[in-house]
Formats: sequence, C-alpha cells, structure tokens
Amino acid sequence: MMRTLWNKIKEPGSFRDPAGFLFYREGSICRQINQVYKENYEHLMNSGLYAELAKDGLLIPHEETDIADAVNSDKAHQVIRPEKISFISYPYEWCFSQLKDAALATLTIQKRAFAHGMSLKDASAYNIQFRKGRPILIDTLSFERYQEGSPWAAYRQFCQHFLAPLVLMAFTDIRLGQLLRVHIDGIPLDLASRLLPSKTRLRFALLSHIHLHAKSQKYFAGKRVRTAERKISHASMLGLIDNLEGAVRKLKWQPGGTEWDAYYEDTNYSAESLDEKENLVANFLEQSDPKSVWDLGANTGRFSRIASEKGIPTLSFDIDPACVERNYLEVVGKKESHLLPLLLDLTNPSPGMGWNHQERSSLRDRGPADTMLALALIHHLAISNNVPLERLADFFASLCCSLIIEFVPKEDSQVQRLLFSREDVFPNYTQEAFEDAFKVCFTIRDRVKIPNTQRTLYLMKKNPSEK
Amino acid sequence: MKKIGDAKILLTFLFCSPFIFCHNAFAYLDPGTGSYILQVTLAVLFGALFMIKTFWENVKTFFRALFSKKGK
Repeated sequence: MMRTLWNKIKEPGSFRDPAGFLFYREGSICRQINQVYKENYEHLMNSGLYAELAKDGLLIPHEETDIADAVNSDKAHQVIRPEKISFISYPYEWCFSQLKDAALATLTIQKRAFAHGMSLKDASAYNIQFRKGRPILIDTLSFERYQEGSPWAAYRQFCQHFLAPLVLMAFTDIRLGQLLRVHIDGIPLDLASRLLPSKTRLRFALLSHIHLHAKSQKYFAGKRVRTAERKISHASMLGLIDNLEGAVRKLKWQPGGTEWDAYYEDTNYSAESLDEKENLVANFLEQSDPKSVWDLGANTGRFSRIASEKGIPTLSFDIDPACVERNYLEVVGKKESHLLPLLLDLTNPSPGMGWNHQERSSLRDRGPADTMLALALIHHLAISNNVPLERLADFFASLCCSLIIEFVPKEDSQVQRLLFSREDVFPNYTQEAFEDAFKVCFTIRDRVKIPNTQRTLYLMKKNPSEK
Repeated sequence: MKKIGDAKILLTFLFCSPFIFCHNAFAYLDPGTGSYILQVTLAVLFGALFMIKTFWENVKTFFRALFSKKGK
C-alpha cells in the first residue's frame, strides 16, 4: 500500500535509495533529497553538471521547492519538483534501438559526470525514460562524487540491464529482450553467457564484459578474496567506458521477417480505403478531443501519427518487435516528439511487478488513456485468442475513456484467413453481438462503414457507471 | 575448443589477480566481487588501448590541420 501523509503519497517503487525518494503532492511529482545526499546534490548543481545535462536533454530538469513540502522534514535537505514524464515505460516494453539508445545515453551521462568529478552510482535501465522521443535520465540522485581511483560502482548493473539483453537480442533472438520482465535487476550474466552463440566470444569486448564477467562472478562468489589497493586510473576508467560504448554501438539488429512486419502490404485494404479510414479516424479523434491517445495493435504507427501529429501525446503499442523497431526509427529519423512506440502483448499485458507487486506498475495502473484506438484488432483477440466480446469490452473500458474501434466481420477475408486453420467455434462473433457486448460499458456515439470494405468504425464513450 | 580458450584466458587472469589485489574483502555469494575484480583488471587494458586511440586521434587531427592549412 502507498503511504499517505496528508496530501502526500509516496511512490511505491521508490524506496531503495537512502539518498531520497519520490512522492506525489497535489498532482505533481516531487523528490525528497535527504541530508545524507546533501554533498552530492550540491556538487551536481554547483559543478555545472546538472545545467549541462539538463540543457542537452540527458537529465530531467527540476525546480527546487519549499523544504516544508518534505515528507520527513527531519531527514530532508531539499525537495525538488522534476518535470513530469507523461508515460513511464519499462525496458521490457522497448524495442532493440530504444534499449540501445538508453544504454548509450547512460554511458554519455557517465562520461559527462566523470568530467565534472562525479560518477553514476547506478545504471538501472528503469532510470531512463523517453521524453520527446529521446532517452533521458529521470533519477537526479544517481550521481555521487567520484573518489579518485575507485572503480565504476554501476559496471555490473550496466552489463546486466543493457549490454546482456542487447547482445542476446542481436545475436540469439530478438524475443530474449523479454527476459528483462523476469529478471527485474537485469539479465544474470551467466544466463546470458550460456544463451549466446560462440561467435560472441570472438568479439573481445563481449568476451570480456559478458563471458569472462560471468565466469569471474562465479569463480569469486563465496570466496574470501583480496581486492584492490591499486586503484583505477583516470585513463583506465575512460578506457572502460569507451570500450563499453564501442561494444554497444557495434550491436545491430535488422527488423524484418516477423509476422506483422509487412502488414500494410498484406491487407485487404486498397490505398483509397486506407486513406478513407485515416480520414474517418481523424474525424472521430476530433470529436473526442483527447489529451492522450493509446493505439493498440498499432503496427508501425500509421494511424497513431494522426493523433501525434496534432501534438497529442500518443503511445503506439504492438506485439511485434520489428514493427516497434521500425516505428521508433521513424520517430528518431523525423524527430517526432509526441509518439512513443512500445512493445506489448495484449493477451498478456505488463503486470505489476517487483517488491510487493508495486515497483513496476501494470499497464492498467499507468492508464487510462483519454482515447484508445483499436483498429483491425478485435478479430485477432476474439478469434485468434478466443476472448469473448464481453471481456474485450470490459478490458477496453478499464484502459480508456473513449474508444475508436473497428469491427471486422466474419465475412472479411482477413477473418476468413484466421478461420482457415481452426474450427469456427465463434457463433456469437457478429456485429449485433459486438454492439450488444460493448453497450454494457460504452455508449455508441457514431458508426461509419469504411468505404469499399465490410468493416465498420465506431466511436464510443465509456458509460459513467464504469470505473 | 571455445571452452578451452576461455579457460586459458580466465586462468591467466586468475593467476595474475593475487598479485594485483592486496586488501582483504569478503564475498558471500556476491556477484559484485567478481565484477569488481574483472573491472579493475579490464580497466588497465582498456585504459592503455584508450590512450593509444587518443594519441592516434591527436596525430590524425594534427596532420589534418597541417594539410588543410597547406591547402589554403
């Protein structure tokens, strides 16, 4: 349970660091900085590091507020109000290039910190978020004053949170990024080492940071050992970071060959019908006038961009890592700042995880969206995954306030394809049954037949009785 | 073969480590100790490579500047 102190609510995932914690106050997010962190915070602010990182979009900007805002004023040194990130996403929801860019941002921050006499004390992928399409560090308390000669405290965490999943995705299978969902503190290096092909041992950086690293951990675990009197020199530290950066930069993954990758070339829509559908979606979006949009089953984000290009913060979810990758690369290439592509399996959405199920929020807890798009999606959930229409209506109602949904009837060639290899045990999959099921949670505001197709587009508003 | 290759590298590294490390510390099934020792060892090597790389970059920059001046 979250601890409530008058109008202040402690963020349940922020409890490990004695330097401070996050809390919510009157709708804004605040961070209490404890006295134990005073020296580090003052160095961060006075050395010019904060200003430089915030200016370059690498560290979340904040403003200092009244110390009276603190949750425990006896321990507090300062309270800051960081800029709010519109949606907190997690590394297991990122595509390959998102994780790679987050890794490179972490190393850039470490190099900048080092130049200002500081160092990152942790390199958790969860400390990075996407703001305006680019990765940014959100934990202002991640820095500590660098003690001359000491090694990088976050080296192991960097290898587990970034390098190991990236190497596994690039060399073994893109789907292994999902191991981050099981291993909340990053992929154990012995596991990564076992899953990687032999050729990764021929790259000296990977041999060192993954394979030998895993062996060294195993060899020294439980042993009484003698550790360093000899320190790491300045050049050695820079060399280590430079080597990690080179190793990450060299990792490549080419999206393609997955189930949904060529979707737009393999639909029963003509170019004109797709354009018509775009116009109808744009019209419904205008009617619902949302402040946030989630596009479920977004593929490479063609319809998500109708919303994001209007300046609406938009999440573009898809199950296929190749689609999310292409979508993200387009975001980066076109410098789009309102669209965030994310990986999501709707039949098994991100759960509440970590300590007390609260360290990482479920997808539902991070909602609801003002408006949700569910285009060419319902037949996959109802027929491929046997989810009854009533449950689909319930699910959508838990995630949004308004819904723009496309009904794809059984006569549609795409549904016929789904039924080709399975018995038709879906007698209730009809447009009438669909409307009846959704009317329990939603009010149908508008329905339009999409020209030259058998499909219908609906605009629905959640009933006030629904939570 | 790869296992023998790895074992050789690890043995060399482990053989050298007692001469490098002097302070006492305790590791109770803590992967951090292995990470620490590996990092300190690798940093020496990567530091040397980084210095060579930086030196080479400086040489290239020097000659590039020299030739671009001559070109003007």
